[in-house]
Amino acid sequence: MKIQRWQLPMTVVFLCVGILLSLQFQAQSQIVSDLYMQRTENLIAMIRGLSEKRQKLALEIYDLSNKLSVQMESDRDEKQLISNLNAELNKLNTVTGTTALKGPGLTITIENSMPILYIDIINIINELWAAGAEAISINGHRITFHSMIFYTEEEYNMSITVNNLKLEYPIIIRAIGDPNNLEKGLTIPGGIMDNLALFRAYPFLEKVTSITVPAVTEPPSYFFLQEYKPPEQPAATAESQLPGDDYPQA
Amino acid sequence: MWLLPILGLIIGAVIGSAITFQVPLIYVKYMSIAVLASLDSVFGGIRAILEDHFDGTVLLTGFFTNTLLAALLAYLGDRLGVDLYYAAVFAFGVRLFHNLATIRHALLLRYRQKKYQEPR
Repeated sequence: MKIQRWQLPMTVVFLCVGILLSLQFQAQSQIVSDLYMQRTENLIAMIRGLSEKRQKLALEIYDLSNKLSVQMESDRDEKQLISNLNAELNKLNTVTGTTALKGPGLTITIENSMPILYIDIINIINELWAAGAEAISINGHRITFHSMIFYTEEEYNMSITVNNLKLEYPIIIRAIGDPNNLEKGLTIPGGIMDNLALFRAYPFLEKVTSITVPAVTEPPSYFFLQEYKPPEQPAATAESQLPGDDYPQA
Repeated sequence: MWLLPILGLIIGAVIGSAITFQVPLIYVKYMSIAVLASLDSVFGGIRAILEDHFDGTVLLTGFFTNTLLAALLAYLGDRLGVDLYYAAVFAFGVRLFHNLATIRHALLLRYRQKKYQEPR
């Protein structure tokens, strides 16, 4: 087909028109979406919708921050609870003897030459407890609620045992507590020291500003223990058992 | 025979949509009057083809000068405080519809001529 003489200029013109038209389309569609060209009513509606949305979001922020503060508070409570429990645990540890302890106190040294029986050791320890000792050890054996003090006999040789372990001389009893009180408890006239003096035993007392008491080497294990909870009485019967409720109401 | 111009139109549209250049919003008004002028030129050209007195030079010069002048005049009118924009819209709009009517007439004439010639 032969290209007619009008086709080339027409094509050029059409090309330019195409470019112009599509550019104009783009620009016009942008104008339509532009805020400047919106009608006032539409703008008002848009503002209203947006401010409503904003209010809702502000409310949401308020709610969420409230939630956050509640959570933080409960977290803080939890932390306090944990620290309380830790304090409790520490206390229990000191009582059950699972931690080594340090403090002022009294040391009692008993030499080999002194005629001392295991019962005397028990008496001394009882006296120390009574005088306010907070922790006691004998030659590195921590004395707790399940400590045993006894004796063994080997070939007419008697030796004192703590937890079935022989004590080597010199026996050193360490007690943490008020040193003066502890000493008074032992040296009170007619007390344990006077008793021992009758047998010519003179344990050596020394007040110390800082002694350490070791921890229990073998903590007891429990297999049969279970916590006992007293059966709860129903509230109604408890009330009816109150004196005065027996009388019929007039 | 109209294939080439239509192809040109389509390619132009594709190029225009591919261009990321954005006409600034204040000039969109002048752009629109330029588009109107160019459309007028195109329809004038088609009419000239149908009436067999087409001149490529006239079409091309008319197209570009009309388009640019229309935009410039509308811009100048805005600067001077005279709404030449509406005058241009009116003038080009009237000529556009006049051209369209002429094209329609010419096409109808050709169709009838063919119809009456063929049976013989």
